[in-house]
Amino acid sequence: MMPEQFPIAFLFIIAGLIVAFIPQGRGRVSFTMLVPIFAAWMIWNLQPGVYGQVEFFGLPMEMMRVDKLSTIFGLVFCLASFIGNLYAWHVRDTVQQVAALLYAGSAIGAVFAGDLVTLFIYWEGTALASVFLIWARRTEGAYYTGLRYLIIQVGSGVILLAGIVLLHGETGSITFEKMTLGSLATWLIFLAFGIKCAFPLLHNWLQDSYPAATITGTVILSAFTTKLAVYALARGFPGTEILIYIGAVMTLFPIFFAEIENDLRRVLAYSLNNQLGFMVVGIGIGTELSLNGTAAHAFAHILYKGLLFMSVGAVMYRTGTSKASELGGLYRTMPITAICCLVGAASISAFPLFSGFVSKSLILDASASNGYTLVWIALVFASAGVLSHSGIKIPFFAFFAHDSGKRPKEAPIHMLIAMVFTAFLCIFIGVFPEPLYALLPYPVDFQPYTTSHVVGQLQLLLFALLAFCVLMRTGIHPPEIRAINLDSDWTYRKFAPMVITKIAAIFSSVWTYQTTFWLGTFDRIVEGFYHSHGPEGRIARVWPTGAMVLWIAILLAGTLLVSFY
Amino acid sequence: MAKQTDPETLSWISRKLLWVDKPGSADKLFKILAIVCALLFLSEFTFHKHVIVAVENIPGFYGIFGFVMFTALILVAKMLRTIIKRREDYYAPKAIDSEEYPQADTERLDHDA
Repeated sequence: MMPEQFPIAFLFIIAGLIVAFIPQGRGRVSFTMLVPIFAAWMIWNLQPGVYGQVEFFGLPMEMMRVDKLSTIFGLVFCLASFIGNLYAWHVRDTVQQVAALLYAGSAIGAVFAGDLVTLFIYWEGTALASVFLIWARRTEGAYYTGLRYLIIQVGSGVILLAGIVLLHGETGSITFEKMTLGSLATWLIFLAFGIKCAFPLLHNWLQDSYPAATITGTVILSAFTTKLAVYALARGFPGTEILIYIGAVMTLFPIFFAEIENDLRRVLAYSLNNQLGFMVVGIGIGTELSLNGTAAHAFAHILYKGLLFMSVGAVMYRTGTSKASELGGLYRTMPITAICCLVGAASISAFPLFSGFVSKSLILDASASNGYTLVWIALVFASAGVLSHSGIKIPFFAFFAHDSGKRPKEAPIHMLIAMVFTAFLCIFIGVFPEPLYALLPYPVDFQPYTTSHVVGQLQLLLFALLAFCVLMRTGIHPPEIRAINLDSDWTYRKFAPMVITKIAAIFSSVWTYQTTFWLGTFDRIVEGFYHSHGPEGRIARVWPTGAMVLWIAILLAGTLLVSFY
Repeated sequence: MAKQTDPETLSWISRKLLWVDKPGSADKLFKILAIVCALLFLSEFTFHKHVIVAVENIPGFYGIFGFVMFTALILVAKMLRTIIKRREDYYAPKAIDSEEYPQADTERLDHDA
């Protein structure tokens, strides 16, 4: 088989099977790190084209569609897998090691899928593999959270399959290409993508499950599922106008929740949701500039989001908690983690010279120059919001703020290497955006470092920072407290079970009442008859013995007649 | 509750960073930030602004917008909290919020251990 005919996903799947047979230890972990490096090398050498065509129940499947859009996502997924496995060097849990490889493999397989059936198979693959990263925490809460996650993820796959079947009925084709919303089939596929992409009101699985995974599991989870959905939307629905407004709402609502959330990993999950909004807006606008923006932002985002999850994870690894109310002042003993966290925070806030700046500018520019002024205003506001929770809250409340009295040891060396490497990439991309721009799907004619851009962005961020200082000094800024906040998942976690319990209670009491009533009535009737007709009854007094003989004679006569005719 | 840690045991980066905890350092940082903001505002008049949206022509648009919207965001979020805040064990035992993170998956070492 030619190398390009070999689906990259199989590499991860085979490695996932082999890994269980390598003795647990450094050899095995090194192997899990080599797989994504090798895969990236293979992807790098692929020529654009369609490979790995097979017939499957009469359907033409394309395992490997290579173009610039699939390549950039494939590469960044390999990078994320490498960093995640390096960060998990200390983990000696076969379940997590296998799941991490299969998960990355499924995501890469889905990105290279040229047809919808292949996409569906890998789509479910990501759901099934990733849930083990949540269950690997091995607590009751994580078990239930994993179940909720799995139901929603698999549900997304089932809806996708329904859409594919309908689409095949309509067009006779299963090729995964640009679609137009209109028929039920395309709406179903759109909905399936939307669930995985955490559209508003379909988003709760993300904030629910990511804080529930293991320390290393969350780092890996943060890279794949949602960005796969972004890729799928960019491939299937570029230029779909509704996405612009969905994306704008997505950038806005999580910033309020993130601001008052205590669990820093959940703050990051809300922030992830907000970042996806920028990418979705880019897809909705659908110009070359905006789609480039989406791809660039996905690439930069996977790195800085991973970096932030890694730094909070390192804190958790040393202190056992990621709750802002329990942390603070850790910079003294975890300075390198703190600095890496600050680099991640600066990148996500899009400070000039950091990666977020060179990728988000493309989307903001596209929204402004295409006349979506209100959307642009929303995105600028959301950018200030990103600064508030990811830029300030995460590093400030974990590493600075009030002294929690905790003096944890600095993160282990492999975590530091993973974080410093990622932090380096965030700065490198920010300072030298050209290599990233060269990977984008369309030719880039964009200069992020103009005086207007830089001054505008610095004004936005530093004045917002000034506002934060003023609010802190006046005591208006809300304190970090041990509590949770309700989100729309309350409807299915509390409200629906409550309603169902109530309805069940009503039904069961009606049933009990009915059965008691009818059984009671029956008993009373029988008793009544017994009372009057029974051996002790009033009627029994007039029973002559002869009557019995007469009735037997009549019965015998009847039998005789029946047998005659 | 601040625990005294001997600065000698800290790494050189930490010792540099300890400056932020010195009395008066926070005030200094705040003043520096205010000055930088003022300079950024004034710098707008020194170059020709390339604008796409008309509102960008307002002098200091980004600065004013950032300051006002950030404050509004915090105030709205604070109000939102009064409505949606619940006890940590609200969803327990079917959620991780009130659980301890499993000890076995961590290596909780103290700095001077």
